[in-house]
Amino acid sequence: MATTACFIIVSRNDIPIYEAEVGSTVKREDAAHLHQFILHAAQDIVQDLAWTTSAMFLKAIDRFNDLVVSVYLFLNLVSIHTRFMLLHDSRNDDGIKSFFQEVHELYIKTLLNPLYLPGSRITSSHFDTKVRALARKYL
Amino acid sequence: MPVWNFCNFFILKESLAFIFEMAQLHEDALREYDELELCYSETVNVAGKQRDFGGVERGDDQAALLNPGNKPLTQIVQDDSFREFEFRQYLFGCQAKLLFKLNRPYEVASRGYSFIISFSKALALYESILPFCMREVWVVTACLALINATSSHYKDGLVAPDVEKEFYRLEGDLYSLCRLKFMRLAYLVGYGTHLERSPVNSASLSMLPWPKPAVWPSIPPDASSEVLAKEKMILQASPRAKHFGIQRKQLPLEPSVLLREANRRRASLSAGNMHEIFDGGMSPSNKSHAAAMSRTNSSPGNFESSIDRPMRLAEIYVAAEHALRNTISNPDLLKSLSSLEEFEQKYMELTKGAADNYHHSWWKRHGVVLDGEIAAVSFRHGNFDLAAKSYEKVCALYAGEGWHDLLAEVLPNLAECQKILNDEAGYLSSCVRLLSLGKGLFLTKERQAFQSEVVRLAHSEMKQPVPLDVSSLITFSGNAGPPVKLCDGDPGTLSVTVWSGFPDDITLDSLNLTLMATFNTDDGVKALKSSTAIVLKPGKNTITLPLPPQKPGSYVLGVLTGQIGKLKFRSHSFSKGGPADSDDFMSYEKPVKPILKVFNPRPLVDLAAAISSALLINEPQWIGIIVKPIDYSLKGAVLHIDTGPGLKIESHGIEMEGRTKPIENTVAENGSLTEKKKFELLKLENGRVVFPDWASETDSVLWIPIRAISDQLPKGSSSGDSQKRSIVDGMRTIALKLEFGVSHNQIFDRTIAVHFTDPFHVTTRVADKCNDGTLLLQVTLHSQVNAMLTIYDAWLDRQGGVVHMGKGDGRPTSGFFPLIISPTTRAGILFSVCMENMADTILNIKYGISGDRTTGAHPPVLVESAESDGTKQDLIFRSALIFQRPVLDPCLAVGFLPLPSSSLRVGQLVTMKWRIERLKNFEQDEILYEVNANTLNWMIAGLKRGHVSLSPEQGSRIVISILCVPLVAGYVHPPQLGLPNIKEASISCNPAGPHLVCVLPPALSSSFCIPA
Repeated sequence: MATTACFIIVSRNDIPIYEAEVGSTVKREDAAHLHQFILHAAQDIVQDLAWTTSAMFLKAIDRFNDLVVSVYLFLNLVSIHTRFMLLHDSRNDDGIKSFFQEVHELYIKTLLNPLYLPGSRITSSHFDTKVRALARKYL
Repeated sequence: MPVWNFCNFFILKESLAFIFEMAQLHEDALREYDELELCYSETVNVAGKQRDFGGVERGDDQAALLNPGNKPLTQIVQDDSFREFEFRQYLFGCQAKLLFKLNRPYEVASRGYSFIISFSKALALYESILPFCMREVWVVTACLALINATSSHYKDGLVAPDVEKEFYRLEGDLYSLCRLKFMRLAYLVGYGTHLERSPVNSASLSMLPWPKPAVWPSIPPDASSEVLAKEKMILQASPRAKHFGIQRKQLPLEPSVLLREANRRRASLSAGNMHEIFDGGMSPSNKSHAAAMSRTNSSPGNFESSIDRPMRLAEIYVAAEHALRNTISNPDLLKSLSSLEEFEQKYMELTKGAADNYHHSWWKRHGVVLDGEIAAVSFRHGNFDLAAKSYEKVCALYAGEGWHDLLAEVLPNLAECQKILNDEAGYLSSCVRLLSLGKGLFLTKERQAFQSEVVRLAHSEMKQPVPLDVSSLITFSGNAGPPVKLCDGDPGTLSVTVWSGFPDDITLDSLNLTLMATFNTDDGVKALKSSTAIVLKPGKNTITLPLPPQKPGSYVLGVLTGQIGKLKFRSHSFSKGGPADSDDFMSYEKPVKPILKVFNPRPLVDLAAAISSALLINEPQWIGIIVKPIDYSLKGAVLHIDTGPGLKIESHGIEMEGRTKPIENTVAENGSLTEKKKFELLKLENGRVVFPDWASETDSVLWIPIRAISDQLPKGSSSGDSQKRSIVDGMRTIALKLEFGVSHNQIFDRTIAVHFTDPFHVTTRVADKCNDGTLLLQVTLHSQVNAMLTIYDAWLDRQGGVVHMGKGDGRPTSGFFPLIISPTTRAGILFSVCMENMADTILNIKYGISGDRTTGAHPPVLVESAESDGTKQDLIFRSALIFQRPVLDPCLAVGFLPLPSSSLRVGQLVTMKWRIERLKNFEQDEILYEVNANTLNWMIAGLKRGHVSLSPEQGSRIVISILCVPLVAGYVHPPQLGLPNIKEASISCNPAGPHLVCVLPPALSSSFCIPA
């Protein structure tokens, strides 16, 4: 399991709609800000890279010392749609990819919920529990 | 064959490259160098061969990556190869030179950046043998050199836009790398207190390990004054208190505590001493200060012995500064680190460079973040205007993308700038934004501070009233459930749920809410006002607003506006379930629920007459008015009653009773229902009746005593005259106006026509006329009302006096009475009268009536004051009798005598005869006659007109004959005998009307025959 991992889902409008610290280390009080900051800055890179590849999984698009940002994104015709961003220090690319794929499934299930308004914050505790379980499994 | 070694290979390759370069074949020359680099990287790291890295000479700290002629190659030859430190820079220098010649500065930057990164890693490997912080210094100089070279070679617009973008990004990366290393150096010499502990600085620095020299530099012997100066600086630099009293753990700028790291790297320090430093349980950031402060009293003189005790922070700074002075050969860099001002200048230069380049490359997030760093420096220097502008940019970015955690870091800084600049509008909106950030980001105490700032400003003297958008803070929605339904024209109250994001109660001096019609765009919005002050508790509040009458349609909530002190605020956002899911970015997309439905006008109440049959005229009667509310409450309704001409309301009370609809029920459970039936006496005041409460929902009947006044004497009719009396005579109208609704806003007007009638219609017939002038007068009474009438007496009366036969008063036998007449039936009374002149005869009937007011005419309303003896008062009906002379009263009979049996023929003379017989004594004895005939059909011979004398005795006869010749054949009218002097009514004709006779064609005449 990765010691540091910060998972975040960013919606179409660049708004984070779900955040979770899924690393095994005890969360430092100040680290959350740093992780958010790094992920936020990495969006500059995502927006550049998104159109150069057809792959959904972009591994290690940004490095920050020993932290790496991986992204899993869906595009629609004109814009970057939702993207999953993971800041991690693990090198287990396959695990990360599987993690993203499983979260993708979960996210789609959430979208299918008629009471969930696409683009709004995901507050489902069930989703949260599942994501954390997946993180323990794959990262 | 010479032995292959790298030097030989290099000489070969470089001379080849040189030739290519001479031949202007830069590409090929570049390829040679690329191959050389590849080859070198493979050979240099052959395992087991310990080589000298280089980089320890004076001046090596200055990167020579763009200066291949920095050192002659002979100096760096080592065995059969070259020293890595110098040779890699040399190779890159050659490549860069060629690339610049090829006019590809972008590639220089791109290769240079990765070269710096990889070379920095190589330096890290040899850090223990290199001078202190050699790696950082080299990176700083390398970046600066690369930036200078590439930007001077770069010309705008010569390359494709995406390459240009990429170039600026690389420049930005170089700047920020340089900035990072520069900050690290600055921290080591003690300028850390002047570094902003922002996320960007913290993220970069806290993950960057400390330099790892073999031994941490120790304090030079004569540095006591410098140590004192540094200690003073440490003491002076108190961490800047954040605005609003926000207390946040400061973000780290160091990967681990420098004090510990530096002392750990001093070989002689024992572990026991380490613990001495960190006594107590304080947090590391405080510890460093505490440690420094606790030892300020120790004499600075015995530095010689300091090798045995842990260094203090100030000493570490001084030691690092001295070590750096030895390392750094570049005077510029040295100068930049020499004083705080110089440092800040360089820092700004680097930060600005990075920010500008990132902005050029459209990496707005990177750029804007660095703008925030510039703002921090501007702020420290008191340049608040500039700082506010930059902070605004940062806040706009974070707020726009919804990264609230990051926004919460920056927004207080912006607010502080705005406060200092006296930018009230900005400051207020920053406070509101701070309040509307997630609750977890600030403590309650801090949020209360934001609120008190807002309230303080709102009540202070503001130059201009500031409009403020509090959409994210105060949200509102209609109540759950179906919308409020109102009938057209009704006012109402609207209950709205308002969520307040303020941490404490807040008093709103006024509150307005607009309503927008969903499908009616023309007449804009309607504002609902609450004039009284409203105190909003934190969280959910329910506010009730008065709702003036609205047009029909369905309405949604529009904008909430209001005032706090002098502050006008407005909120656009609707929230569905409270602040928990009020994602202000998505709220615009939420489906808007109608809050109010005003229905199209519809009948809300119906007033109708309770009965359709006629009431008694000239008698006090109850008129029933059915009040039927149609799904609408009549609470407090007021009925205005206005009677038309000829109608008067009897002065006493009005009865109101509940009405049960099905009639069968009343029959079936009569007893029980009457108990249940509501009944109340109401008072009529100024023509108004106020409805009781029980009548507000159910149907009820209002009984009003009225009297229709008619001064006409009813007239009977004779039996031959079948015409009925006109109904209009008995019509009266009551104008009713019902005011009802919540504020009597609904008005229902209805004019009810009531039919009044006499109890009887009288027809008379002279049944027989005796020779002595006595008439048998048959009086037929048609009951006109839907009630049982009982006749007690009847007599005739006349002004002039009646001569009666038999009994003196003209009454029929009293044994007839009482005579009961069922509704709408007839009864007859026979009078035997003898009258000279029948005119002006009046029939008087004394009668009683028994009827129910619910079905029609009924006994008159009793007036309590008069005749309270309880006996039933008999009613008198008077009607004028109309007599008519019999229509046929012949005095003369005219008979057409039969024609001779032989038929009439054209041209044959015929005698027409009429017999006139006197039927009555008649004064005339000369009778004028006249024969009329169609001259086309008849030729008349003799007197057509003349007088005949007829004896005046009854039964005298005379025959008038006249000769005629028919002129045409066929059925023709015979000539007619007329008596012009006598009224037609007095003549009885036989046959009565015109008749036809048959005239044959003329007989054949021989004189017209032609012999055969």
